[in-house]
Amino acid sequence: MIFSLETWQITIFSLAVGMASTIVILPFGVALAWLFARKEWPFKSVVETIVLLPLVMPPVSTGLILLKIFGRRGPLGAWLYERGVEIVFNWKGVLIAMSVMSFPLLVRSVRTSFAEVSLRLEQIAATLGASPLKIFFVVTLPLAYKGIVAGALLAFSRALGEFGATILLAGNIPGRTQTLSLAIFNFVQTGKDAEAFTLLGITVFLAFTFVWFSEWLLRAGKKA
Amino acid sequence: MLLRCRIPLAHFELDIDVSFNARVTAIFGPSGSGKTTLLDTIAGLREITEGEIEINGHTLFSSARGIHQAPRRRDIGYVPQEGALFPHLSVQKNILFGAERNQYIGPSKGITVDHVLKTLEIDKLLGRPVTELSGGEAQRVALARAILSAPQLLLLDEPLAALDVALKERILPYLARVRDEFGIPMIYVTHNLTEVLTLADWVLMIRQGKLVAQGIPQEALRSVQTIAQLDDERYENVFTAALVDSDAPAGRSRIRLSSGTELFIPYLSQPDNRSFQIRVSADDILLATQRPIGISAGNVLKGMIKKIEMADGDAILTVLAGEDFLVRITAAAVTRLGLAENTPVFLVIKTRSFHML
Repeated sequence: MIFSLETWQITIFSLAVGMASTIVILPFGVALAWLFARKEWPFKSVVETIVLLPLVMPPVSTGLILLKIFGRRGPLGAWLYERGVEIVFNWKGVLIAMSVMSFPLLVRSVRTSFAEVSLRLEQIAATLGASPLKIFFVVTLPLAYKGIVAGALLAFSRALGEFGATILLAGNIPGRTQTLSLAIFNFVQTGKDAEAFTLLGITVFLAFTFVWFSEWLLRAGKKA
Repeated sequence: MLLRCRIPLAHFELDIDVSFNARVTAIFGPSGSGKTTLLDTIAGLREITEGEIEINGHTLFSSARGIHQAPRRRDIGYVPQEGALFPHLSVQKNILFGAERNQYIGPSKGITVDHVLKTLEIDKLLGRPVTELSGGEAQRVALARAILSAPQLLLLDEPLAALDVALKERILPYLARVRDEFGIPMIYVTHNLTEVLTLADWVLMIRQGKLVAQGIPQEALRSVQTIAQLDDERYENVFTAALVDSDAPAGRSRIRLSSGTELFIPYLSQPDNRSFQIRVSADDILLATQRPIGISAGNVLKGMIKKIEMADGDAILTVLAGEDFLVRITAAAVTRLGLAENTPVFLVIKTRSFHML
């Protein structure tokens, strides 16, 4: 099938920003998941709840909160604007919306895979003289990595499907902030069904691939 | 070593205050008596609020002085019950995981990789993934890993519990070798009496979190209170013996105990001049008031009852027949035979009731 230039542009833009958002949240997600799985600290459950909020809140509400924070007059937005960085209505807005919306999925999945690593192994590593860093990188991380990759894939898929928060923070500007989901909505609204169905096919294909791969990884992880 | 701690557990409080100094100290008690908790505490893997732990004059933990050394700075090798090998690393990487510390301390103590591998006979396993090891192999690899971290103390948590009887008897000599070759003091947790008697120079007996007895194993384990408290254990008589002669067609060997008493035991295929240990359960010895005739048992010894102790319907008798033999019979049997201290009796023991250690 030969796609139009516009289809290619939309698909590649979505994949690129989605991937970037996953890469950006990965280190934070892994660190936070580890803190959730392995440490006890004050207000931990409050933080856990806040992190999970975007998973259950209407995405549009999350988007509105982000808009208020990152808008030119928002607390963070104003500060960034003074330094010449603008978030709203460009790709950076898409990136932030995707990151915030997919973060809880990443954290949940990685946290589970950390929790499944036997605490005993980490303890024994400590008796063998290993530093906390060595324990994390030589024992915990390699044993949890399949869950981490699966979580990243899940987060990436969620990022690609992101709609509500994106449209509020970044708008729906063709060629600038239009992702697959936004474009499908646009094409349906303007009666361009053929284009909408092409993009629909692409999203189904991508989603299927990622979910299938992530499930396969998790199953392989269980076996090992 | 000094160990003082109070740890609240689910059903009782672990409350130990003991100081000991032996090559191999066994912590002996039924399952659920707090043994593993004690090892975790020594290794620093369990937070405690009250206590003091001191090894070779170094304080590892002291609630009074606010000292809490991190597990990785305690130089204590720990072999947990399940072995806890790193499943994603090869045998070689597992073994060398803690070897950094060994570079500086190990060689002076004779702990080299080669020596450890040879002693435990695991040199052929190096390239294997640990997931493909048998239970006995995994235990030896875990042991090697702990030894190669050049610890000042080795903690072994029921290293043989998960193995079947045949395998146990194969691994036990390896533990004895580790004890003799590397000179690392060991604390050995077990609920198996044979292991205590074979390996340990000192035994701490724990029940419900309390120290109920301690001492040299052969002596400490000979008290009736001890036996009554170890409900899930059978008492074993353990003797050091030397082979006199072997008769393959007859299926038996003759041995001599240190007191000069001679006994028949099952045939030993390999005559061995060194002394060895044999055991016989206190439940496998018959008592007779007259010398029995026309019986199949190979050993009839004349002796004298030194002591009778009653516990829960059981009678535990100490009978001197060259050596002290412990015999457990029912209280009813004592009454029926009219047994009392200083009564002469005959011990009847089947040849097959003796087992090698």
